[in-house]
Amino acid sequence: MPKKYHVHTKVTPLDLDYIFKFQIVRRENCINCGKCTKVCIYEAHKRRKDDPRKMADPNTVVCRNCFRCIQECPRGALEMSLNKDFLNIGGTYWKPDMLITLWKQAEDGKVPVTGAGYRGPFSGEGFDSMWTDMSEIVRPTRDGIHGREYISTSVELGRKLNHLEFDGNGRLLSTIPETIDIPLPVIFDLPEAGLSSNVKAAMVKAAVELGTYIVMPVAQITADFERFLDHIIPCLAPAEIEKQSIVLGRARMMAIDYTGELPEDFPTLKARIKSVCNALTIIRVPAKSGVEHVVSKLAHSGAEIIHVVADYRGREVSCSPPPSPRLIKDIIRAVHMKLVGDRIRDEVTIIASGGIAMAEHVPKAMLCGADLTAVELPLLIAIGTRLYEEPERFLVLPEGVENISVGILTQRIVNLMGAWHSQLLEVMGAMGIREARRLRGETGRAIFFDEIDNDTFGKLFRKSEVANV
Amino acid sequence: MIPSTVQVRRTPSRFKHRVPKYKVIRSDACINCGTCAKTCPYGVHERVDGHNRVNPPIDYKCIGFECQSGDFCCVARCPRKALSLAPNPMYETLGDPRWTADMITGTWIMAETGYPPKRTDLEYNVGNSGGGFDKLRFKFPAHPAHVEKAEISTAIQLNRRNDGRENVVIATPVYGGGMSFGSVSLPTMVSRARNATAWNTFTCTGEGGYPEALHPYDDHVITQVATGLFGVREETIQRVKIIEFKYAQGAKPGLGGHLLGEKNTASVAKMREAVQGFSLFSPFPFHSVYSIEDHKKHIDWIKEINPRALVSVKVSTPNDVDMVAVGSYYAGGHIIHIDGGYGGTGAAPDIAKKNIAMPIEYAITKVHNFLKDEGARDAMTLIASGGIRTAHDLAKAICLGADGAVIGTAELIALECVRCGNCESGRGCARGIASTDSELADLFDEEWATQRLVNLYHAWYVQLVEILQKCGLKSVQELVGRTDLLEHVDYSR
Repeated sequence: MPKKYHVHTKVTPLDLDYIFKFQIVRRENCINCGKCTKVCIYEAHKRRKDDPRKMADPNTVVCRNCFRCIQECPRGALEMSLNKDFLNIGGTYWKPDMLITLWKQAEDGKVPVTGAGYRGPFSGEGFDSMWTDMSEIVRPTRDGIHGREYISTSVELGRKLNHLEFDGNGRLLSTIPETIDIPLPVIFDLPEAGLSSNVKAAMVKAAVELGTYIVMPVAQITADFERFLDHIIPCLAPAEIEKQSIVLGRARMMAIDYTGELPEDFPTLKARIKSVCNALTIIRVPAKSGVEHVVSKLAHSGAEIIHVVADYRGREVSCSPPPSPRLIKDIIRAVHMKLVGDRIRDEVTIIASGGIAMAEHVPKAMLCGADLTAVELPLLIAIGTRLYEEPERFLVLPEGVENISVGILTQRIVNLMGAWHSQLLEVMGAMGIREARRLRGETGRAIFFDEIDNDTFGKLFRKSEVANV
Repeated sequence: MIPSTVQVRRTPSRFKHRVPKYKVIRSDACINCGTCAKTCPYGVHERVDGHNRVNPPIDYKCIGFECQSGDFCCVARCPRKALSLAPNPMYETLGDPRWTADMITGTWIMAETGYPPKRTDLEYNVGNSGGGFDKLRFKFPAHPAHVEKAEISTAIQLNRRNDGRENVVIATPVYGGGMSFGSVSLPTMVSRARNATAWNTFTCTGEGGYPEALHPYDDHVITQVATGLFGVREETIQRVKIIEFKYAQGAKPGLGGHLLGEKNTASVAKMREAVQGFSLFSPFPFHSVYSIEDHKKHIDWIKEINPRALVSVKVSTPNDVDMVAVGSYYAGGHIIHIDGGYGGTGAAPDIAKKNIAMPIEYAITKVHNFLKDEGARDAMTLIASGGIRTAHDLAKAICLGADGAVIGTAELIALECVRCGNCESGRGCARGIASTDSELADLFDEEWATQRLVNLYHAWYVQLVEILQKCGLKSVQELVGRTDLLEHVDYSR
C-alpha cells in the first residue's frame, strides 16, 4: 500500500475577538440569585470576581444556545438575541454561518460535527441545488470493497493523450506528456493584493506542507520564496516569459492570463515557453458567458490545463444583466459537456474556481466536471479574516495580523484544508468512490434538484402541460 | 380508535418560561394600578398582593397581536397607555428554516395539552425550508363523503406478507425511530417505550443494546441490528415483535454511526460491550452485505432466531433506493423503512446532513411507484422518516405513498429539545434528553416525559383524523398514494 496522505492538523486558536451568533443580555431586574450559574453547563454565567454578590455579564462566547438560563431565570431577566455583528458579516453567498464554521475548522482542523438534523433550506442556488449520492446494498461501492484508508484524493494535472500509437512492431510511437500529481484536488489561487509578507509566506508554506501549489504573480515571488518554487505557480503575461526564464526554469507549472489571441496562438506560445522551461502551462480564463467555447478552442489548440475563474461568489464575471449570470456549478457543467461533446474532455485538465467556499463545493465542482478546484478567500478566512459582501466585496484582516507568526498562520490554513480533506473522504466514502479522479463529471453520483423535483412533483402536480396538449 | 390506555393530561413545561414570541413592554408611565392583571385572561400580568409594583410581564404567555381584537387586551385597557406589544427578538434565536420557532412552540403546546394549539398566530404545520413538504398543501375535496370522526381508523398493519408471522397492527401510523442508549438518556428511552405501549405502537432501541428497563415494554420495542452489532444478542432478538436492520441513517448516509468517546460512559460501555471513553464506530456498510443475496441471508438469520418477528429494513435514500426496496421485498423483509437525508441524528458531520442522499419527499414517491410497478407494493409496509416534523408532514408522506412514518426529533421536541445541536459534545444535552451524564440524565422523570409524548401523539391523532374527515375517508389506509389530495405551491398554480 502506498504511503498514506495525511494532513497534520493541530489546534491553533487566534487571540481575536470572535464573532458569535447569539448574545445574552442580563436585564436590570436580575436579583443575583445565581440560578443561571447552576443550570448552565457551559459556564456562561458566573458571579463577579470583584463583587461575588453580583452576577457578571454573561460570557456569550461559550454559550451554546441551550436556552436553559433563559427558561429557568425566576425573573425572566435574561434575554437572548441574534448578534448584530454576526448578521452583518458575509452576505448572500458567504453566509455568516459559513464564516463561523470556516474559522472553527481553521482552529481545530476537524470535520464539523453536530447533533440534530439539517437546519437549512431545502435547496438553494448553485451548489445548494444538488446532493451527492451514496451507495447502498444493491451497489455497495463503485470501486470495490474498501475502507477510508484506501481512498485516494489525488488528481493529475496536464495534457493527456486520447490514445496511444504504435508502429508495426508494436513499439510505442506516442510521446506521453508530463503530468503532475497533487494529493488534494485543491490548489491555492492568487493571493489578495496588499497582504503582509507573513501572510503570503504562510500561504506558500501551507501549500508546500499540503503538497499542493499556489498561484502567485511573478512579481511577488521574492527571494525568500525561491526555495519553494516547486510548489509555486508563477502567473505572468506572455510578454514576460523570456524575462522570467530563471524563475520559470525552476517552476513545475506556470499560469498565463487568457487573451483573445491565445486559442490560435497557443502552439507558438508553448514553443516560447518550452525554450525557457519545462513548466506545464495553466491558462486562466475568466468565466464570461460563452466561456465553454473559449475553453473548447483552447483545448483543441493543445492547451494543457485550463483554469475557469468565476467571481468570488461563484458567478460569471462582468456579465451585464440581463441575462442573469450563470453560477459556477452550471458554468462547470457547460464547460465539461462542451468538451465531452467535442470528444476532447479526457485530454485537458480543468480547474474551477470562484465561490469554492466550503468543503462540499470541492466534490460537487468535480461531479459537475472539474478535475480540481482552486481556492482564495477561504485561505484568508482561515487566518481570521472577515468578509463582507455589501455594499461591495470587502475584507477585514485581523488586527495586527502582520505580527502573528508564520507558523501559526500556516497551521490554520493547513487545518482548514485538513478538515476539507477529511470531509472529502466522507463524501467519497459514502459514494463508494475510491479515487478522486473518478469524481470528475460523475453525475450518476449526483442528484440535481431541478431534475428530481420536476420528475417527482412536476409530473405529479403540473397542470399546464395537459392544457398545452 | 384511540387505545383505552391513552389518557390526555395537561403536562406543563419543566421550566418556568418558554421562549416568547412577543414582548410586552411596560413603560415608566405605569402607575401599578393592576388593570392589566385583571383584564389579561392568559396570565401575562401579575399583581401580587402586598407588592408595590406589578410584576414584569410574562412574555411567553401573551398570544400576541390577535389579542387586540378582543376587549380584554391589556394594551388598549391600560389607563395610562403604558403598555405596548412587539415581536420578541428572542424568538428569532429559536428554530431554523426546517424547524421554525412556531413549529417548536406548536409542538410544545401539543405536548402540554394533547391538542393542536388554538392560537391562530402559529404556523406550526408547515416549515420555512422552501421545498418538499413545505411546498405541498392539502387540496380537500369540496364535497367529501360524510364521515363521523368516531368511525375513522388510523390503524395500519405492519405485516402484509401473509407468511404466518404475527399480524402486528399499530393504532396510529407513527412509531418512534431508533435512538440508542448512549445517544439518549435512559429516562428518554423508557418514556418513549411507555408512550409506545400506551398508543399500541412501537419505539426502537437504536444500536446500543437493549436496556433491561425496557423489558416490561418488549411488545412495543423494535430492536435494531446495525453495522457495529453493538449490544446485539440472540436473547434480545427473541424478545421483540419487530427487528430492524439498519443499513444507513438519513442524516449520515454511507458514513456509519459514531458515538464520541465522551458519551461512552461506564454504563454505555457495559451495554455495548466496549471500553469506556473510546469513540465507538459503526462502520458503513455491513461488511457481510454486498448484494441483495447477502441481505437475504441476514433476514433469514433473524427469522430463524425469532420465528414470530417481523423484519424491518432501514435504509437511506440514494438514487436507487427503489431498487433497494424491491430487493428487500424479494429478500423477505416486512417493512421497508426509508430514512431521508434531512433526518435527525445525535451526531453527524454537517457536510453529510446537508449534502448526501435525497430528501424523503422524493424517495417516498420513487419507492411507492416502483414497488407498485413490481407488483410488490401490497406485500410491503412502506415507512418514511427523516424530516417528518408534524402531523401534516405525516399525512403528506402518506398521500405521497408511505403507509406510515417514523419520528424522532418531534418526540424530542415534545421533551423540550430546542435543537441547539449540542447532543454530541461534552457531557451531552443541556436539557437532559440526549445525555447519559449522571446529573443531566436525571433532569426529568419518566412520568412527565411519557405524558408529554402521549399528548403529542394525541394531538397528531386529532389532526390526522381531521384531515381524513375533510377528505371523506374512513381509514388512513385509504389515504396512501392519494397525491390527488395534494397540491404544490409552485407547480399546481
